[in-house]
Amino acid sequence: MIFHSLDFVVFFLVTVTIYWSLPHRWQNLLLLVSSYVFYGWVHPWFLSLIFATTFIDYCSTRGMDLWPHRKRALLWLSVVTNFGLLGYFKYFNFFVENVSAVLGAVGWRVPHAVLSVALPVGISFYTFQSMSYTIDVYKGHAKARTSFLDVATFVSFFPHLVAGPIMRATNLLPQVEAERRFSPAAARDASLLISWGFFKKLVIADNVGVIANKVFALNAPEFYMLWAGVFAFSIQIYADFSAYTDIARGTAKWFGFDLIKNFDHPYLAKGPADFWRRWNISLSTWFRDYVFLPLAYGVSRTVKADRVLGLDATTWAYVVGMIVTMLTAGLWHGASWNYVIWGAYHGVLLAVARIARGLPKPRRRVRRWLAPLQVLGMFLLTNLGWLCFRETELAALVRDLTLSPARATALGTQTAVYLFGLAAIYSAPLWVQSLWVAAGGPDLVGAMLHAEPGPRWGRVAAQAALAGVLFAGVLVLRSLTTLDFIYFQF
Amino acid sequence: MVRRSARSWLSLGLVVAGALVVPLGLRAVSPFLRSPKAAQSYIPAIETPRERAPFDAAVPAGLARNKPGYIIFGDSMGQSRIDARYLSRLVGGRGVQELFEAARGSAYWYLAFKNWVVAPGIRPKAVLFFFRDENLTDPLFRLWTGTLDPVATDHEPRLDEILALRANGPYYRVHRAAKALYQFDTVSEWLVPRLLNAPAALVAGRSARGTFVETMNDTVFSLDALRTMALADMQVADDAALDFHRFLPASVLPEIIRLSKESGIRVVFVRVQRRPTPTGPPPQSLALQRYVKDLARYLMTNGADFCDDWGDPDEPLSIYEDGDHINRDYRSRYTELFVRKNPGIFR
Repeated sequence: MIFHSLDFVVFFLVTVTIYWSLPHRWQNLLLLVSSYVFYGWVHPWFLSLIFATTFIDYCSTRGMDLWPHRKRALLWLSVVTNFGLLGYFKYFNFFVENVSAVLGAVGWRVPHAVLSVALPVGISFYTFQSMSYTIDVYKGHAKARTSFLDVATFVSFFPHLVAGPIMRATNLLPQVEAERRFSPAAARDASLLISWGFFKKLVIADNVGVIANKVFALNAPEFYMLWAGVFAFSIQIYADFSAYTDIARGTAKWFGFDLIKNFDHPYLAKGPADFWRRWNISLSTWFRDYVFLPLAYGVSRTVKADRVLGLDATTWAYVVGMIVTMLTAGLWHGASWNYVIWGAYHGVLLAVARIARGLPKPRRRVRRWLAPLQVLGMFLLTNLGWLCFRETELAALVRDLTLSPARATALGTQTAVYLFGLAAIYSAPLWVQSLWVAAGGPDLVGAMLHAEPGPRWGRVAAQAALAGVLFAGVLVLRSLTTLDFIYFQF
Repeated sequence: MVRRSARSWLSLGLVVAGALVVPLGLRAVSPFLRSPKAAQSYIPAIETPRERAPFDAAVPAGLARNKPGYIIFGDSMGQSRIDARYLSRLVGGRGVQELFEAARGSAYWYLAFKNWVVAPGIRPKAVLFFFRDENLTDPLFRLWTGTLDPVATDHEPRLDEILALRANGPYYRVHRAAKALYQFDTVSEWLVPRLLNAPAALVAGRSARGTFVETMNDTVFSLDALRTMALADMQVADDAALDFHRFLPASVLPEIIRLSKESGIRVVFVRVQRRPTPTGPPPQSLALQRYVKDLARYLMTNGADFCDDWGDPDEPLSIYEDGDHINRDYRSRYTELFVRKNPGIFR
């Protein structure tokens, strides 16, 4: 089921109404059933996968509790099973295609099998979430739960099931277990968050997405046109993904749950590390905790010398750990080389930024003046990354990167200005919001959330007006082309 | 405590009410924004009054002049498969007129057949329709505002009835109710072109902005300038839409058949094969198999011809370009095979 459908509106209204009339244990059962209905709406067979993942992780963690000496083996059972399912459904075709291409290159032609099943949506998200529970229990950061119902509800909680944010067991499971009470103030904030999410998706992301799709459908775009398309895509992917998160967070709030914030004005980042503290925060912290830190720790223990090639052991640990982590993160996004390149690119950016930290720092006054340039520079670097992310054909990517502005025609340049302007117009609310925050103002939508106990009527009036304006905006400006959420494919 | 809770409930109510009431402002401004040329739509069941593009009278005039032996309708599926000039030669110069239009659906084909061919008295030997799976029983497929303007007269009561019958699900009812309540269409029709034109005016000046957008669409984004995309246009039929007998009465197919019988024009329906797999034809669900069987039976019993490309060994994956489209280099070959495999049509 998708958020921007009438099915979902009816489903949500019915579920939330029944939910608040039930006692706590029944609420969890309802959440589990409704999450399974939500997930299996189009392809009921997807349910067998999420059930298998849940069951394996539940059994592994229970086993860890009962037989502590078998902890490691049980962790491996979970990791191998989860990665096995993910690998089979997400990477099988990619693997087979590449192996047969390599064998073909050396003259060995082998018929290759193709897995013709739909990629189960959200598999990367819930697999990581479920695995984090097992790893946390293994490390002693979380207790193994005895209630299968609670664990299954934690893994399948429908608002964020398909595209995150990826919640940790230490955060979400206690919320599943605790008694919840309906809060009209939270529901009020949630409604605003949902309205803002729908506006970002249907008005900004879908309209700007049409521009990006137009440019990336061209056989030979010119230099300026290509970058207008990349600019449009950078807005689309941010508006689209953050919209999903906002709707997910708002929906969860209606059920009495708090999901973490997944975006924090990423295009205001001043450097690569800052960008990853603001972009897809739940995924980047997942990779930080479960991939980067163990890797970096391992590397720092391996490097014995004080300095290698002028870098100390800590820097080496960071550089190696980060590049491998980002390569993995790239591959997590999809079974395609362009994602691997995108991940590697960000890994290198992070590594270079880390090495550059050793350079002398400018004075504070100069730094203040440099800040806008840093933001602009990072935005341009992020756009270069988005080109790798969006351009799925490697030959086309090479061509794109070798395009020359000198060969641009007048019509091509005019087209680029037109597309750039159109993308800027549709995304104006996002830019206004971000620039306002950059200038030190409070987040225009965020400031209206997190209500203190008891309403302040001025703010409630502003919330009511904003919700109305957003709904009117959706009615008038929604794109005629409704695109799927980009992160559904991951 | 109780008081605070009551106030919280009131604040929630206010926000929900704000979301529903503020957009009524659209209704208040819409009379001022409505185009003076806006008129009742020819399909009022699904459209509010708007300014329409004129009926394209040049096409039937051209047909009357050229008197083609065969006329072919369809979308880009037909466009990528049939080379009309070559087909003309293959069928002995009896004139083949293709009227393919990319991204159109059965409502367009029906009106084009009715208003361009039957009404002006054009009488070809046969009219062919190229379609995919359930296109013929889905009149809402690709029915965007204005797409029917070139083929529609001022009144299309039969199509309107069909669309009203089809657009009767809960989604359409909610949409229609919201449209009637907020009248957002008028504001949309006023605002969206202005937004789209604003950057064009910046680039080409106010007076030339229309020409600029046209040139851009025809030159920079022309079909020839698009790259091969393996997944382009892979609209897969949903099993829920594959109940032939349920959807037939709310489709344009019986109307096409009726017109064919009344005018004596033979109609031929060609179901193109979707993108095959590396090992064989594209898989078909049981519902689709049943649907195609029912469709074929219906067409045969009503005197129409039905050709089904599915499973044709001459259409392996290697000849496909993007999505369900066939490689342009293979168009002549497809045309040739089509004539050879369906001699009855061109006899």
